[in-house]
Amino acid sequence: MRRSLNITPVPGAAAAEALPRIVAFVEEMAELDDWAPDLVLRSNLILEELILNTLTHGRTSGLSDIEITLESGENSVTITLVDDGAAFDPLNDKPSPDTDLPLQERSIGGLGLHLVRTMAEDLAYEHADGKNHLTLVARAGA
Amino acid sequence: MELAQERDAGTNVISPAGRVDGSNSAQFHEALVGALSDDDNRVILDMGGIDYISSAGLRVLLLIAQHLGGSSTPFAVCSLAASVDEVFRISGFNQIITVFGTLDEAKAQLA
Repeated sequence: MRRSLNITPVPGAAAAEALPRIVAFVEEMAELDDWAPDLVLRSNLILEELILNTLTHGRTSGLSDIEITLESGENSVTITLVDDGAAFDPLNDKPSPDTDLPLQERSIGGLGLHLVRTMAEDLAYEHADGKNHLTLVARAGA
Repeated sequence: MELAQERDAGTNVISPAGRVDGSNSAQFHEALVGALSDDDNRVILDMGGIDYISSAGLRVLLLIAQHLGGSSTPFAVCSLAASVDEVFRISGFNQIITVFGTLDEAKAQLA
């Protein structure tokens, strides 16, 4: 099945306040289409990282809507995100952190997008019609 | 965020439960900091009750590990769920934080 959820940024609200709705949306889909537990966890992680990134990194100027679409596949889910915020390519615009640095030199910047890029498959981004369009696939048990 | 704690001869075992995401990572950090003591000889974080951690939660673990590393207090995590282990491996956290399979192994080997 294929379903969508729209997230509207609330001025002054913490970005994380959007999370419970996203988690509930994912869990509802998961139950209806009988997703494997690890597919639920991966989908939640990918959506949390991408959406919090959009809501917290100063890209909210002009942002009025993030549309999340989930489509169940064979042991997988195709995730599509469309937002009307500033152009940002989450696949290329922020380098992955150096995950080989020693403990005291590590910082957390960029780690969320690195998780997404590593965990998801078939990632594609384009900026079209003044909107960011991102498509990726989460797969169970990969 | 629930968090159980047990101290035994200088070993501080902290066992959080639930999910750690961007909506509760600040409380997670606060709870962990509150569970630490300067008198701890070593600290073990039993992650067996955590099935979900995002980069917001990893940030907290990094801060705790750096804090304990700064005071040369041995620190390890143990009992990672498969989903948490995957996140640890992708982020390289298994190279900067000592990971044991079980709490018993951590208690026996962390020095």
